[in-house]
Amino acid sequence: MTAALAQLEGLEKSYRQGDQHVYVLKGIDLSIGQGEFIALQGPSGSGKSTLMHILGLLDRPSAGRYRLNGQDVDGMDDAALSDLRNRTIGFIFQTFYLIPYVSALENVMLPGLYSRTAGRRLKARARQLLEQVGLADRMDFKPSQLSGGQQQRVAMARALINDPSLILADEPTGQLDSATSTEIMELISGVNAAGPTVVVVTHDSNVAGYARRRIEIHDGLCRNC
Amino acid sequence: MTAFAAIADGLRLGWRLIAMARAAIWAYRLRSAFVVAGVALGVAALTIIVASIDGANRKAMEMVNMFGPDAAFVIGGNIESRAVGMRYRTLTHADVQRLRQSLPGAYLVVPMQGKGDVTVRHGTQKTQVANLVGTTSGYAQVWNWPLAEGRDFSEDDVLRGAKVALIGDAPARVLFGERSPVGQTVLVDQLPVQIIGRLAYRGVSGGAHNVDERMILPITTLTQRFNLDRNYFRAIRVKFHAPELMVSHVANLKSLLRDSHRLQEGEKDDFSIITADEVLKFMAMFKGGLVVFLGLTALVAMAAGGFVLANLFYLSVQERRMEIGLKKALGATDMAIMYQILIEAVSLTLIGSGFGLVLGKLMGRLLERLGILELMFSWKVFFFAAAAAIAIGLIFGLRPARQAARMSPIEALK
Repeated sequence: MTAALAQLEGLEKSYRQGDQHVYVLKGIDLSIGQGEFIALQGPSGSGKSTLMHILGLLDRPSAGRYRLNGQDVDGMDDAALSDLRNRTIGFIFQTFYLIPYVSALENVMLPGLYSRTAGRRLKARARQLLEQVGLADRMDFKPSQLSGGQQQRVAMARALINDPSLILADEPTGQLDSATSTEIMELISGVNAAGPTVVVVTHDSNVAGYARRRIEIHDGLCRNC
Repeated sequence: MTAFAAIADGLRLGWRLIAMARAAIWAYRLRSAFVVAGVALGVAALTIIVASIDGANRKAMEMVNMFGPDAAFVIGGNIESRAVGMRYRTLTHADVQRLRQSLPGAYLVVPMQGKGDVTVRHGTQKTQVANLVGTTSGYAQVWNWPLAEGRDFSEDDVLRGAKVALIGDAPARVLFGERSPVGQTVLVDQLPVQIIGRLAYRGVSGGAHNVDERMILPITTLTQRFNLDRNYFRAIRVKFHAPELMVSHVANLKSLLRDSHRLQEGEKDDFSIITADEVLKFMAMFKGGLVVFLGLTALVAMAAGGFVLANLFYLSVQERRMEIGLKKALGATDMAIMYQILIEAVSLTLIGSGFGLVLGKLMGRLLERLGILELMFSWKVFFFAAAAAIAIGLIFGLRPARQAARMSPIEALK
C-alpha cells in the first residue's frame, strides 16, 4: 500500500438525544492510501454518510483521531478547516449542486475563488478542465441548459479545480441513466488514474465495480477496513 | 505569510465576493428591486427632511437679515394681552417726535400705517395687493430694502400728501411686466398715484403673504385719501447705531415709551417691541417642531425600509440554502459568506439611496412648487443618504448574514 493520505483511529460520532447518546459511528479504524479508489457501501442509516462528512471535514468526530495529509485535524478551528477543505478535497454530489444563475465556467471556478489562485490562472485551469470532461463548447451555458450528465461533468471539473488529493463522490450517478453513469464513472476512473484518491459512496454495484477496494459500514462499524 | 501577502489575499477575496454579490443581486432581481424600492422611499423621506430643515434655517436667516439686527419694530398694543381687548391704538405723533429727539443711538424712526387688500389698476391690467403701507420717507432704508430703481419719498411728499407711491416687485411685474413702472400712473382703488420707485425683489414669503406684494404711499396720503386713523400709528420702525448695544437700546426705547404713555409702575406695556432676537426665537420654536415631526417620520420611513430589507434577506438566505451550503462545503469560510451577504445588502441599500435621492429631489420640487415647504438641497443631504443606506444595510443585513454564515453545509445540502 502507498503512503497514507487519510488515517482514522477509533473514530466515533454520537448525538445526544434527551439523556441518551446515540452512536452513529462506533469506532472506525481506517487508513486510506494515496491514489486509492474506494467504494464506501452500506445500507441507509449505517453511518456511511456521517463517515463521508467527517472525511470531507464537513463534520467533526466526537472521539478518535483523524489525520489528513499528515495533519491532525481535530485541533483545527473552522476557518483552518475551510481552508484545508478548499485545498485538499473535491466534492461530487448526487444532485450536482451547481449554482443555477452562473455559467458552467463560473461554477467550475467557484472553489478556486476561495483559494489564493490568481484569477487568470484559475480561468485557464477551469477551461482546461471543462475541455477534459468534454464540455469545451458548453462553457458559457447555464446549468439549466445542460443535461444531467453534462451537469455532473461540470461538477467534476469543479471538484478538480484546486487540484485536490481526495475526491469524495456521494452517489455520483444516482440521478443518471445507466449509459450516462458509465460515462461519468469512466471519467472518475480516469481522474483517479491521474493521481487523486477517490472515495465513492454508492448503493450501485456497477459503480462499486470501478473501485479497487470496498469498505462496508454496518451499524456504525466497519467490517473490512 | 507576510502582512503584505495577507492584505493582497484579503483584497483578492474581497473583490471576488463583490463580483459574486453582484451576480446574486442580478439573479434575484425582483427581490433586489423590492429592497431598492423600500430603501429608496426611506431615503427620499430623509432627503426631504434634511432639505426642509436646511430650508427652514435659511429662511430664518433671511427673515433675520430682512428684519435687521440693528432695528426694533414697535407695534401698538401688547401682543401678549391683545386677546383680552386691550387698546392697540397707542402709538402717536408725539411718540415719534420724542423718539426722534430723545432716544439715544436711534438714527431713523419711521412710523407706519397700513391697509390690507386693495386693488391696483394700470390700463386694463389689475392686481390685488396684500399690503398698502403708509409711511414717512426712509421706508426702504429702515427695512434694509433697497430700491431697484427710482427714488424714495421726500419730506415734501409727506408734508403735502403727494399722490406718489413706491411699488413692490410683485404688482410691478403683474402690471408692467419687464417694463419700468417708474413715472407711470396707477389707480389704487380710485386714487391715481404716480410711481416714483420700485422696491427690489425680496422673495421671502412672510407667512401667508408674499412680501413683494405691496405698495407704499406717504403716510399723509394714505390716512387722508383712505380715511384711516390720523392720530395713531399701527407701528414704528427704529434703526440704531451700534447693534451690539441692542439690549440697552431696547431698554431705553421701552422706558421712553412707558414715560410718554404715562404708565405707572406695575402697569403692563401698551405696546410691543420686536427685535431680530424675537424673530430668531420664534423661528427656533418653529424649527424645533419641524425637526421633531419630520425626524419621527424619517425614523419610521427608515425603519420600514430596514425591516423590508431584513425580511427579504431572511427569505433570500432560506431560498439560497443550497448555494450557501455548497460554498461552505467548497471551502468558503463563515466570514466570506457573511461578507458576501452584507455586500449584497449594502449594495442594494446604496442603489436604493441613489434612487431615493432623485425621488426625494423630485418630490421636494413638487412640494416647493406647491408652496408647502421651503427646501435647500446640499451635499450634506447626499452624505446623509449614503450614510443612512450603509447603516441600514449593515444593521438589518447583519442578522441574516450571520444566519447564513452559521448554516451547516450538511443540513443545507440534504
